[in-house]
Amino acid sequence: MGEVVLACEGLKKRYGGLWVLKGIDFEIEKGQTKVIIGPSGSGKSTFLRLMGLLEPPTEGKIYFEGKDVYGSGLDLNMIRAKIGFVFQEPSLFRHLTALGNVKLGPKVVLKMKDDEAERKALEALKTVRLEEWSHHYPAQLSGGQQQRVGIARALAMDPDIILFDEPTASLDIELTWEVIDVMKDLARRGVTMLVVTHELGFAKEVADEILFMDDGRIIESGPPEELLKNPKTPRAREFLRRLIGGV
Amino acid sequence: MFTLENFLFLLQGVPNTLAISFLSFALGFALGIPTAIVKQFSPYGLGYVADAYISIMRGIPVLVIMLLFHFGMAGIIPMFKSAFLSATFALGLRSGAFQSQIFRGAINSVGRQQMMAATSLGMNRWQAFRYVILPQAFIVALPGLGSEIALLIKDSSYAFVLGVLELTKYSDIVRKATRSFLYPYLIAAILYILITFPVANYLDRLGSRLKTKYGLR
Amino acid sequence: MEGFLTTVEMTFLGLAGGFALGILSALGDVYGTKLMKVVIAGYVEFFRGSPLIVQLLFFYFSIPALTGLNWDAFTAGAVTLMLNSGAYQKGYFKGAIEAVFKDQLMAAKSLGMTFRQTLRYVVLPQALRIVIPPWTNEYISLGLSTSALIVLGIRELTNISKSIAAQTFRPLEVYLFASAIYFIWITVSMKIFDWIYEKVKIPGLEVNI
Repeated sequence: MGEVVLACEGLKKRYGGLWVLKGIDFEIEKGQTKVIIGPSGSGKSTFLRLMGLLEPPTEGKIYFEGKDVYGSGLDLNMIRAKIGFVFQEPSLFRHLTALGNVKLGPKVVLKMKDDEAERKALEALKTVRLEEWSHHYPAQLSGGQQQRVGIARALAMDPDIILFDEPTASLDIELTWEVIDVMKDLARRGVTMLVVTHELGFAKEVADEILFMDDGRIIESGPPEELLKNPKTPRAREFLRRLIGGV
Repeated sequence: MFTLENFLFLLQGVPNTLAISFLSFALGFALGIPTAIVKQFSPYGLGYVADAYISIMRGIPVLVIMLLFHFGMAGIIPMFKSAFLSATFALGLRSGAFQSQIFRGAINSVGRQQMMAATSLGMNRWQAFRYVILPQAFIVALPGLGSEIALLIKDSSYAFVLGVLELTKYSDIVRKATRSFLYPYLIAAILYILITFPVANYLDRLGSRLKTKYGLR
Repeated sequence: MEGFLTTVEMTFLGLAGGFALGILSALGDVYGTKLMKVVIAGYVEFFRGSPLIVQLLFFYFSIPALTGLNWDAFTAGAVTLMLNSGAYQKGYFKGAIEAVFKDQLMAAKSLGMTFRQTLRYVVLPQALRIVIPPWTNEYISLGLSTSALIVLGIRELTNISKSIAAQTFRPLEVYLFASAIYFIWITVSMKIFDWIYEKVKIPGLEVNI
């Protein structure tokens, strides 16, 4: 048993009168990769944003390395700095080069010296195979490249876990691969990852566990071989049939 | 003291303010559309004339144009002996330049695709412009025209310097007559806001409603 | 010539004061409380909805009557220009701030940046660039509006021209000359702003607001 990095208990979220999350218990250990699948509107993205501390839960608790995040007067920004987040849209800072984007966090939040932050950033860009593009602005990069800069931006913070919110959903197929390859790399290196994606190939290859979400709950979970081949719940079966058959 | 009587007196300035604004807007409209078309098609290389007109009007205070007309050109053009007409024509001339830019922007936003579709039907460039581009451009231009009217209503106050009896002049008269320093200008300011706001707001809303209706951006 | 300098001086005073007011009220309007938003909306509506001339007269004559504060035409004029320009600049800054999309704010949050860090490193560097073209327009329109200061008797370019025209009995030439000065000044300044914009421009950051 490894150390639990991120966990939650009875997590619920309501927008207006609508319960988007209806009670989720979850934990992920150091070095694990977990993949969340599920139909749109099932609450996957909301769940991820809550775990990334980008929005507060309506009810329930979130634990980061064993500490109750909202319960003990911790500096949320310092925890956010330790939780990387990669968005569906690349969300790069448009006035900064690739390098500038990756460097900003280490410099401003982690208070690194400029050259130190730059070294860190270049290293991260190398990991996502973009060191040659470091002086390009977001508008000069392809969608896949932008998304990889987004991954490097998260990596450069030396996070304890990275959350990915459908990082390839807005990309063309051939650009999807370059992003997925980088993510597989990271998983193999032992980076702790929680990924919302419909790339089942990725899930099959590197996930320790797949969680199937529907209607604000995790209704099924298990190792990839099991869940993908023999889903127990009818809804997961239906979803997988459509996902695989529909493409 | 500021009394109801004073207020009613002040209101007498409103008709002239409205007259200057709307007449100059009409003049600006009459000048603006041809200028926009000349800039678009530049017949006989006239595009430069349109450019020069626009940049001159953008680069000189409208008050100086008014003074130039009224005091400088009344000898040449008798019409400018009237302060009212000098002010109206100065504002109208400038508004023509501004409105031509509003129309140009609107024409460009309608876009090439529509032009190509029209020419593919066998229309010539002018027909396509007249029947396809212009009607759409006009809708897109509505909010801009609304702000232009508002600008004219406010800038009609420059006619005060020429002595035209409009709202600002009346408020000044009231201030001098009553020695009430607070209210005349404040009331005038509020009256201006009450006049400009509905006009600009209406055209803005009409514009966005029609844009949605016709699926224009 | 002396009149021209006053014109330029007033323009810059108004722009600088309006810049500070514009940024603050834009930030207040985007990120502030309800009350702040209402106050800012009232401020903007007053100064954008009424003529500058009326505002000048109001500030010069009415404010002293109201507060007992005594100020000269120059100060009253400068303060009015600042407040007026601030109301317009607020709109430009607001547009520019909102052009820095929400996804970037979320990204900054995910890195653990505080609100102030986000503002300083993410929002303002982009907003200030985006705002240059509309800001150039504000410079032009404020520069030309300084001719309204004539109603307070401030000796700027238009006012001086008017006196010279009256003295020399050659109004046509005098006003044409004044027009030329305004025109050259505005055209040259525009070129300078365009040049600055080109200098600091970043690919992909051309946003129309």
